[in-house]
Amino acid sequence: MAEFDPIEERAVEMLDDVQLEALRAKTVAANDDRFEFVLWNLCLRGVAVIEKVCRSRGGACGLDDQEIEMAIEDAAARMLLRLSRLEPQPQVHALAAEIAAACVERAWPSQKHAPRLTHRTPNLRLISGLDVAIETGKVRPNDWESS
Amino acid sequence: MSASEEAFERAFWQAVDDLKEGEAKPIEDYLRLVPREQRDELGRMLADLFLARGPTPSAEGGESSGYRRAVAIVDEVLGSRGSAGILPGTLKAMRNARGIEPDAVVEQLAADFDVEGEAGRQALARNYHRLETGNLLGSKLSRRLLASLAAVFGVDAADVAAAARPAAQGPALRSAPAMGRSGGARAPSPAHPPSGPSDPEVELVERLFHGGPDA
Repeated sequence: MAEFDPIEERAVEMLDDVQLEALRAKTVAANDDRFEFVLWNLCLRGVAVIEKVCRSRGGACGLDDQEIEMAIEDAAARMLLRLSRLEPQPQVHALAAEIAAACVERAWPSQKHAPRLTHRTPNLRLISGLDVAIETGKVRPNDWESS
Repeated sequence: MSASEEAFERAFWQAVDDLKEGEAKPIEDYLRLVPREQRDELGRMLADLFLARGPTPSAEGGESSGYRRAVAIVDEVLGSRGSAGILPGTLKAMRNARGIEPDAVVEQLAADFDVEGEAGRQALARNYHRLETGNLLGSKLSRRLLASLAAVFGVDAADVAAAARPAAQGPALRSAPAMGRSGGARAPSPAHPPSGPSDPEVELVERLFHGGPDA
């Protein structure tokens, strides 16, 4: 892997997600081999989200541990593919979550249900007291930035 | 409010309280508290709730095996970047993660390009192996081959094409041992099959893998 000098590497590690994504797009477009180091850092940030989403969603979908780990590996590879593109990409946590969800929701041998070809019809449920719980901080709304 | 709705709310709030106390149980424990037909919905809500609360610290205080495996995939793919970019590594990683044998990929490519003869299929298998082992030039892969590979793995064709961009200083091409055989002392196999009577299917396959984007 082509490397920055150590001071540059530290500077790259300290970039926030948006700055790091901008640097990724720049190094990919320039075919700069240091793109690998940037991509490595972006992926490390995304992998934590992939692991979390695959575990929670996979568990809820009835996947066993081995299937969840396979979904995690699949999602890691797919994230690398996506981050090879020249076009600017969404914030890495959001991208990782989207890819992880797609990897979990594909057909698995142990799943009880047949794969769905269309999105589920929204089915909203009212939980009494949830609004107060959110206001008082007892429940936090889902937010990739803070979770 | 019906009894089943009450049970749903009770289970949801129990999960919230358990999370707050740091005593969250596996999601399945809460799903058992509601009627079977409500479990999918409760499961999705709890998954979102658990995500919003952030990761539970592991008992060992270290990284999970899933995290380590994902990082290993990233490491391996980036480490193998070469003349076909990171495409070889990602193809192999996705194939392994889905438990797909190389033969299954070759079968699908054969179906996509109407390759029915034995020689054509062998050429597909040989070239796919060379692609996965980083022994082909990404710039010579045809767009329709990349689109077909994208369809096999259910990913965006633009992602696959982007991943095939060669590294600026990729390793030199080298021969790879044929699939299922030992490296042995045998001379490396040639990049192209020996010349002989041309088989249209073999020619098609060679164009797909070596003919450039428009082939």
